[in-house]
Amino acid sequence: MSALENRQTFVQRMLFQGFVILVLAAMLALTVNQFRGERLPWVGDFSASDGGDAAHDDGTTISLAEARTLFDADQVQFVDARSMDDFEAGHIRGALNLPWLEFDAHIEAVLPELRDDVTIVTYCDGEACHLSKDLARSLKDMGFVKVKVLVNGWSIWRDAGLPTAEGAS
Amino acid sequence: MIRQRIDTILRILLGIIFIYASLDKIVHPKAFATAIHNYQILPDDLVNLAALILPWLELVIGALMLANRWVPGALMWINLLMIIFAGSLIFNLLRGVNVYCGCFSTRIQEADKATMAFSVSRDLLFLCASLYLFVRVFKNDPPPSEDPISV
Repeated sequence: MSALENRQTFVQRMLFQGFVILVLAAMLALTVNQFRGERLPWVGDFSASDGGDAAHDDGTTISLAEARTLFDADQVQFVDARSMDDFEAGHIRGALNLPWLEFDAHIEAVLPELRDDVTIVTYCDGEACHLSKDLARSLKDMGFVKVKVLVNGWSIWRDAGLPTAEGAS
Repeated sequence: MIRQRIDTILRILLGIIFIYASLDKIVHPKAFATAIHNYQILPDDLVNLAALILPWLELVIGALMLANRWVPGALMWINLLMIIFAGSLIFNLLRGVNVYCGCFSTRIQEADKATMAFSVSRDLLFLCASLYLFVRVFKNDPPPSEDPISV
């Protein structure tokens, strides 16, 4: 067999194997999913994750639309739970930076700035980001009553073209 | 001889890595779907299907690598997947979206740029290993009888 033929058969074999592997994996996956207790639908509904998050709303989250309304009426104090670097690179205009991971180091400086006459809205970046939720819980424990979380706040605020700023707090 | 040993070690390592990476995702498909959704790359309609099939694909190719069967097909997938994994992480690093990679565990954690950079480096290291192995398998095809990597 010539070298060229060798290569052709190698590629053919590789593609054939790859295809069978994929079919096998898909069959296994869908069969197991069909018979497991907590079945995952083939097509998921992620519409809730644009900020409204009705499915997971335990009363602590706020939608982008609500946050915007409060912002326009100057009835909101945004608190950015991300790191100082991320904050300086860009944040919601008027937000204070209180990095959750360095909470103790920053809280004393931030506390006097924090308006308690309006709704405090914490945010970070990414659907899964827990910083804003942990920060909100902590602020509530400290006695702040109106504290909400804007899930995936930085991304959805920026993507919506709403006012942002750069630089330190 | 040494090269063949290296091939065998890499083949087994990649097999173990892929099997290990698949297990938690197979057990927690919903959490893995959330992780994939966080990447904000796939259309929403495809997220769940990917979350269901990808872990099993990893398991099957990991098992084939360990068993030394269908190595060309398995390696093709490993290379393809590592390029996709590293590529999506780099893409999100560059556009400034912090994602927790969800590479080995579906437990969602906070991701910062250092964590993401570590995940990217790790993925690229695996990609180097799988590319090297792929070239070796391709060059040795058809394998001589004493070759440790079979078809």
